[in-house]
Amino acid sequence: MLRDQLRAAVKEPLVHFLLAGLALFLFFAWRGDAVDPESRTITITEQQVERLAASWAQTWQRPPTQDEIDGLIRDYVKEEVYYREGLRMGLDQDDTIIRRRIRSKMEFLASSELENEAPDDATLQALLDKNPQAYAPDARYSFDQIYLAAQDGAAARAAQILAALNKGADWQKLGDAISLPRSPEAVYRTRIATDFGEDFAASLAGIKPGQWAGPVASGFGLHLVRMRAVEASARPKLAEVRQKLENDWRAQTVKDREAKAYQTLLDSYTIRIAKP
Amino acid sequence: MGAGMTRKNWLFGTALVLTVATAVTAQHGAPSKPVREYSPNLTADYPDRVYFGDTHLHTSYSVDAGMVGDRLGPEEAYRFARGETVTASLGHKAKLRRPLDFLVVADHAESMGLGPLVANRDPLALADPIGRQLIDLVAKGDVAGAYRLQAKERNAGRPVMHKDEIRRPIWDRIVAAADRYNDPGKFTAFIGYEYTSAPNRNNLHRVVMFQDGGDKAGKVLPLSAVESSDPEQLWAYLENYEKTTGGRALAIPHNGNLSNGRMFDDVTFAGAPLTADYARRRQRWEPLYEVTQIKGDGETHPLLSTRDEFADYYRWDRGNFGTELKTPAMLPREYARQALQRGLAYEAKLGVNPFKFGMIGSSDSHTSLAGTAENNFFGKVSPMEPGGGDVRYDESIIVPMDKMDGTRQFGYESLASGLVGVWARANTREDIFDAMMRREVFATTGTRLRLRMFASWNFTDADKDAPDFARTAYTKGVPMGSDLTGSGAAPTFLVEAMRDPDGANLDRIQIVKGWIDSNGKTHERVFDVAWSGNRKPGKGGKLPPVGNSVKGATYTNTIGAPVLSAYWRDPTHRAGERAFYYARVLEIPTPTWLAYDMVQIGQRSLPKSARLVHQERGYGSPIWIGSK
Repeated sequence: MLRDQLRAAVKEPLVHFLLAGLALFLFFAWRGDAVDPESRTITITEQQVERLAASWAQTWQRPPTQDEIDGLIRDYVKEEVYYREGLRMGLDQDDTIIRRRIRSKMEFLASSELENEAPDDATLQALLDKNPQAYAPDARYSFDQIYLAAQDGAAARAAQILAALNKGADWQKLGDAISLPRSPEAVYRTRIATDFGEDFAASLAGIKPGQWAGPVASGFGLHLVRMRAVEASARPKLAEVRQKLENDWRAQTVKDREAKAYQTLLDSYTIRIAKP
Repeated sequence: MGAGMTRKNWLFGTALVLTVATAVTAQHGAPSKPVREYSPNLTADYPDRVYFGDTHLHTSYSVDAGMVGDRLGPEEAYRFARGETVTASLGHKAKLRRPLDFLVVADHAESMGLGPLVANRDPLALADPIGRQLIDLVAKGDVAGAYRLQAKERNAGRPVMHKDEIRRPIWDRIVAAADRYNDPGKFTAFIGYEYTSAPNRNNLHRVVMFQDGGDKAGKVLPLSAVESSDPEQLWAYLENYEKTTGGRALAIPHNGNLSNGRMFDDVTFAGAPLTADYARRRQRWEPLYEVTQIKGDGETHPLLSTRDEFADYYRWDRGNFGTELKTPAMLPREYARQALQRGLAYEAKLGVNPFKFGMIGSSDSHTSLAGTAENNFFGKVSPMEPGGGDVRYDESIIVPMDKMDGTRQFGYESLASGLVGVWARANTREDIFDAMMRREVFATTGTRLRLRMFASWNFTDADKDAPDFARTAYTKGVPMGSDLTGSGAAPTFLVEAMRDPDGANLDRIQIVKGWIDSNGKTHERVFDVAWSGNRKPGKGGKLPPVGNSVKGATYTNTIGAPVLSAYWRDPTHRAGERAFYYARVLEIPTPTWLAYDMVQIGQRSLPKSARLVHQERGYGSPIWIGSK
């Protein structure tokens, strides 16, 4: 068990990343270039904040908002952290280009292998279990509908037709022409909202199968509806939603790995920010 | 370029903002999944569903998006289109009210992927001398300088990093993203790109779309304007693609309004007269025209359609991309309605119609966000997203070059348009592509109104009232995009328009007819065929306006009608006539994105010419008669 965990851990890019950092740290420690404890504190001065804001304003032709300033500071701290980690790797020129290159290199380390990586079933199943609702297909409805154009007296007309239907009239011959399916068969709720409008789709949930019901309003007029079957939203099986899970896993993992790697480094720093 | 960074040419001469995207690695696209059918109506013998999509969306992989602040790649574009929430480049959350059914990510093929390559300091960029300079400029904060450098290189015939060893991994990534997000029956992700031909800055752009997955489309690289600016070379490329892979592809031209008379020219790119062979190939590879999008609506022009009271709709008609002013003589070779008419004349002369196309709308958004609703419009490029300040309105989208100031077009003149509606049986690559090839499609200026029209020699008034009129229509007639063959006393039409079910009512349906007379002269006429309320046509047959319920950024459906339909018989038909007919539907007046902005973002002063109220519209594909 422990071995399996270890084996899995060894495959984690984050572990590579941290091991590489540790190795460098040990190397420099052994060589005698002790890391200055002061360098674990990052201080952002007012002047630096002003510089960040000025550079931003030059790009966008307006001053940044407070949120944007906070974002710039966060970004700067990140760059500084990566920069110092990079210095520990032996690149010790204070050069903007190198600073940014180091940052991007470090970010790259955190997420580079992702594009070719295929998550295993257990990973995807866990993702699915965490939020089955997000992957569950919509409810599906099968029903017949008779359309009545929006005009004065449509409601009265609907009542007459409903009465006729209850006496066994042929529904196929009733109602007005419109390019909407008369007998949707197992159609997803989203699609029904697209075709009939949101209000109509919402109304369907309240209609019991069997009898003609309504009138139900759509974006186009009134409808008499005979529900035939409702398939409630079912818990999806992995195989049915695998690609979607994999897409989401990939998008999320890029963010997570980078954030995790950064957080690990950030935790060892003290950040002091003086805002103007 | 003026002071600072905001005076830019968004097309090809501007600034670069740091972009964040994932690194490029070489990988071939996965083969497309076997089709998992969704619709039980597949057994229907006619197309009975409408699917809405955008065939023209740019992401950070386009130079004029990724180098000017668009941080989102193809995957985010698909996620947004299928209804998920994404964070736009300027930091605002973005979501569609209803998902799109399909999307073509159509990034510029020239220096494709440059933005993310530079932003990521990708090893491929570091290994390139200009790539390295761009990275250094961006690192120093000189994003404008970076854009200028790539534009200079491009103009000197050396597009940056446009070489196969870079294009291959970039294209593979685009292909892989489409294959991963393609979900037959639910959401169709098409592989595509934009061929950006613009000789002397005259727009001859085409979107290329493939029906196939990476197993076929991944075998080629996009043909770009670097290889050839001649659209005939593009057709040869498409022909070769189909021959060598067994796949299918088509091209969709757009923005004839910025071509200064070259989009539907009387001569070939090389200056030769049009031939039957040219006409045949153009019709074969370009079955559609993108008639409406952010950079203007291209149906017709007030100077060409002097009696059409709705002809003046977001006309971007000041010139080309900044080097030459427009002259009236150029207009007939720029707009769809006149191209269709001239196509008839060419058909009479050559035996083949070179300008025989269906009508679609698409966005041409450069923000990775296919949002075309007036209250959910993220602008032409990322700096014009909500939250970007007055840049959203004041920025130049067409930037004058060489002191041609009269060609300038501003952000506030943008049209939050458009979409393509497709009549098909299922939401799959194959079904949608088929519908496009047979031109059974329509354009909207961004809303989800629906439009269909049929023609026959023997429809009757009763046919439109049959509960299942589509079955009758297909049985007795032909749908939009078709030829009505045979002959009769006069062509008859069934036309139906339905509003966006959660949107605005409809004002009227019109049928636009174009024809040539016995002298070969072209003509056009607009007929009102269905309208809301009890309005009576007045003097000269003119229908009174529908009214206006707009107050600020609200409107009510107290005017107009949710559904309009008509049976119409052409009263002007002459035996043997060569003509086309297409339907145009108008919504009631609604607020524009600027009116919504005043409420959602805040009041600001706008030029007098800024539109706050408009009538959105749909254009159906034509039906032709008299083709021999």
